[in-house]
Amino acid sequence: TSGDVEDEVHPTAKSAEDRKAAAALSKLDTHADDEAAPGREVDQEAVKNAMNALGGGGADKKETKKVKVDAADVNLLVEELELSKPRATELLKAHDGNALEAMRAYLQPDF
Amino acid sequence: MPQTLSTREANLFRTVIRNYEDKQYKRGLKAAEQILKKNPKHGDTMSMKALILNAQGKTEEAFALAKEALTIDMKSYICWHVYGILYRTNKNFDEAIKAYKFALKLEPDSHQIQRDLAILQIQMRDYQGYIQSRFTMLKARPHLRQNWTALAIAYHLDGNLQQAENILTTYEKSINTTPPRTDFEHSEALLYKNSIIAEMGEIERALEHLETDCKRSLDRLAVMELRARYLSQLGRNEEAAKAYRALLDRNSEHPDYYKGLVGALGIAADDEAALKSVYDEYAAKYPRSDAAKRLPLDFLTGDAFRTASKAYLTLMFDKGVPSTFANLKHLYSDPFKRDTLPVLAEEYLRECGSVDEGAGSGDSSKGKGAALYFLAQHYNYHMSRDLARAMEFVDKAIELDPKNVDFHMTKARIYKHQNEIGKAAATMDHARSLDTKDRYINSKAAKYQLRNNANEEALATMGLFTRAETVGGPLADLTDMQCIWYLTEDGEAWQRRGNIGLALKRYHTVFNIFDIWQEDQFDFHTFSLRKGQIRAYVDMVRWEDRLREHPFYFRAALDAVNLYLSMYDKPQGGANGVESGRSQLNGEDAAERKKAAKKAKKEAQKAEREAAEKAARQDPNKAGGASQKSKDGEETKKKDDDPNGTKLAATTDPLGDAMKFLGPLLQFSPKNIEGQIAGFEVYIRRGKYLLALRCLRAALALDRNHPKVQEQVDRLQKALGGALDSLAPKLQEVIKSELALVTAV
Amino acid sequence: MDIRLLRPSDIPLIQHANIENLPENYFLKYYLYHALSWPQLSFVAVDVSRPPKTPYDYPKIVGYVLAKMEEEPADGVQHGHITSLSVMRTHRRLGIAEKLMRQSQLAMVETFGAHYVSLHVRVSNKAAIHLYRDTLGFKTEKTEAKYYADGEDAYCMRLDLSFIREQLREAEEEEEADEIPKEKQQEDSSAEGRKPRTN
Repeated sequence: TSGDVEDEVHPTAKSAEDRKAAAALSKLDTHADDEAAPGREVDQEAVKNAMNALGGGGADKKETKKVKVDAADVNLLVEELELSKPRATELLKAHDGNALEAMRAYLQPDF
Repeated sequence: MPQTLSTREANLFRTVIRNYEDKQYKRGLKAAEQILKKNPKHGDTMSMKALILNAQGKTEEAFALAKEALTIDMKSYICWHVYGILYRTNKNFDEAIKAYKFALKLEPDSHQIQRDLAILQIQMRDYQGYIQSRFTMLKARPHLRQNWTALAIAYHLDGNLQQAENILTTYEKSINTTPPRTDFEHSEALLYKNSIIAEMGEIERALEHLETDCKRSLDRLAVMELRARYLSQLGRNEEAAKAYRALLDRNSEHPDYYKGLVGALGIAADDEAALKSVYDEYAAKYPRSDAAKRLPLDFLTGDAFRTASKAYLTLMFDKGVPSTFANLKHLYSDPFKRDTLPVLAEEYLRECGSVDEGAGSGDSSKGKGAALYFLAQHYNYHMSRDLARAMEFVDKAIELDPKNVDFHMTKARIYKHQNEIGKAAATMDHARSLDTKDRYINSKAAKYQLRNNANEEALATMGLFTRAETVGGPLADLTDMQCIWYLTEDGEAWQRRGNIGLALKRYHTVFNIFDIWQEDQFDFHTFSLRKGQIRAYVDMVRWEDRLREHPFYFRAALDAVNLYLSMYDKPQGGANGVESGRSQLNGEDAAERKKAAKKAKKEAQKAEREAAEKAARQDPNKAGGASQKSKDGEETKKKDDDPNGTKLAATTDPLGDAMKFLGPLLQFSPKNIEGQIAGFEVYIRRGKYLLALRCLRAALALDRNHPKVQEQVDRLQKALGGALDSLAPKLQEVIKSELALVTAV
Repeated sequence: MDIRLLRPSDIPLIQHANIENLPENYFLKYYLYHALSWPQLSFVAVDVSRPPKTPYDYPKIVGYVLAKMEEEPADGVQHGHITSLSVMRTHRRLGIAEKLMRQSQLAMVETFGAHYVSLHVRVSNKAAIHLYRDTLGFKTEKTEAKYYADGEDAYCMRLDLSFIREQLREAEEEEEADEIPKEKQQEDSSAEGRKPRTN
């Protein structure tokens, strides 16, 4: 939608100043150019090798300790500390499933 | 089941998509209807229709249709993609991510879906997900540099600096021609890598990289600043001094450069003469530099201070610089300096007195007027306050120059400190009348009117500068333009007037503006990659992460929490704070409040009516319709169904409503004791003793002598005295031991 | 007072200074657009003498210049544009506006190779016109009728930046000369006088 973006997008913008701002903002989310962007002169072979060197997976899976947590403890933390369930579970796991320790830790000022 | 269309309809379907992309919604709908006439259960078409309805603002209808389409055709990636887009445009990013993931499973090679998913992941700070997405995107298009940079950013934000650097280096190695010097993306990518190396703490390597790879960088200031910093971090003082000198030659008004230079020169902090000579050198070299002359006043003492500040004040008074006091008042923490400056100003005055007044430039804001103005501000300042003398000096200044806006402005401030709020407002308005083309004084006049609870007059004052054509009048313009100070002050004034509805309304509006500011980063996740300005983008992301620590948020949110607390303590029936019969107040008081609330409501209605009338007069064709706020024009502003906050005030769960404001307060400004105190009050009323205790612990850590905090310790003990036994055993145990810690001190 | 580059975290208070001072206002996103597209070009003047009240205080902005490059210049010539410039009335007469402008102009040339910088100014704004024309050397190109929302006309002004390009070239030549062994250096070593500077 190149054309007359300004008029189309901002029928109410009164001044030239406003129209400029509106037109700029309306173009922020166009993706057209990342499709069309020309590739730089890259060594295709080098790129391929580089890609291979990166390996298959992007994110490294963070090691999570296998800790058993009591569902009742999770519920207690959800209720009393108003945490989300995953966050409560995480907190419990960080304290080896010990609800008392988890709650005490949460009470410490975090600054 | 995926359904196939006839050639004719398949063409029509493409038309629908094109129409949607071109924002030709009516045509798009017509084409979709044509397809559906023949194939009433065509999921993809139904989805596209839903998308168009959504764009037209018919959100509910859109969701219903999109869901129906999904039940018909669970295996269509288009249906899932549309479902994701609907969630995304309605700001439910979590659900949107889920839908996109389904779509991507069905159509793993769709660049568009993958890209949309990636944007949502970074918006939600799902770094692991983002890394995965950017990796996939890089694999699909490794020839685009921005895909490499994006993956590096993903690792960087996730804290994996090493990998971020590797990615950038890997790409660099694959370029087989040297990019031209004007290649901004290249220049910036190198500096970005340099910032990562420095962030890893490898300053030596960062410096080397800077001096080789970034030597020709287009961002010269950044290279100069980084080089100076690295050199001084590495203790290479001679070179660092040279580097800071080069920076001072560029900009002699940046105190950090002087600090860097002084540090590199190894001058001891108490060697005043040596320090002073550094600044003197630049004061001589750049006679128009303010910093070179002013900064020595920070460290000079005794006679040296007296001499230097006399010279500085004389220069400032001669020039009539209005910010002279503002630029020096930080020195007042030193009693000697606090007492010396006014003496010097008086001396200056006496010396002026012997010369014929106004003989110089004829500008009475210079010379004598400036000194009087300084003294008025001096005695108005809280560390040296003597309001009677302040008034004396400002009146003398006004006598000298009756039309000086600044003088009257200070007079208004003095009235404010005398608690003469009405006089303060009137005086500020007089100052405004002396220069009606200046919005600054206009804003100040409105602010003082609000302090005087004159919301209607304040709005009229603001209306002198808001844009006349905005539908809804000045308030709508101020809201659109995210004018937080006005909304907050307006809310506070309504609150003082007992109009809970309008007060809450304003605080919620401020809250919503912060939501908008958070969403504002959305487009930049791709835009910045295209522009190649990576360091600025990373800065922005990190700032957005702590957006709500801003005092703008804190003030309005604390106001809201405190108001909700008082609503809980004194339940009020009826709208906008009109007192209910079951109030705990005595009858007379209640009647009084009722009257006040009624009056406030009437005034609010009147103000609204007037604003609407004014708007209608200015633009008879637009009596409530399109808004300028929306980004896309097609998205018309939803009509506010609670303009006076009546519904907000009628809440049955004020504490629950308070939580919306309180959460970010505690999360982002934990070191602000007022927030912790308010948090305790909310939690103890809700029976969340552990969370109340948490706020109390934080407050104690911040200031254990705060009177309110001590009172809260007692209250928590008392409350638990009755309630402890009814709590879960584990809870009891924690509370007992932790409370003992709190009360022991 | 401290003059330095704009940072994204300054933006709420820049927006605040703008709406307090000027009738032309923008969404926060428009400031972000500048800060993220041309982060080298916008500068702020900060009041550093205010003692912070909380650990979360942001530096108070008493002046700013919000600048950009013209994205699709009609004349095909790379040039900068001043979107907004403002200094609080309480902080005038210290030359802040001029200093902000000079910082921005230098960066326009260095980073983006700007040939000139343009701006609009209200025809009634005498103080601003004085700054642009008399202090900074801008020339009035034309008058744009009813440029502002309230119907006021604007002067379109521009400043040729070739003098900065010239300074940069000289500085660069000097630098290269510096890299040659001492004895081969030219006599004229009064380098300071020719370095591009904005002070």
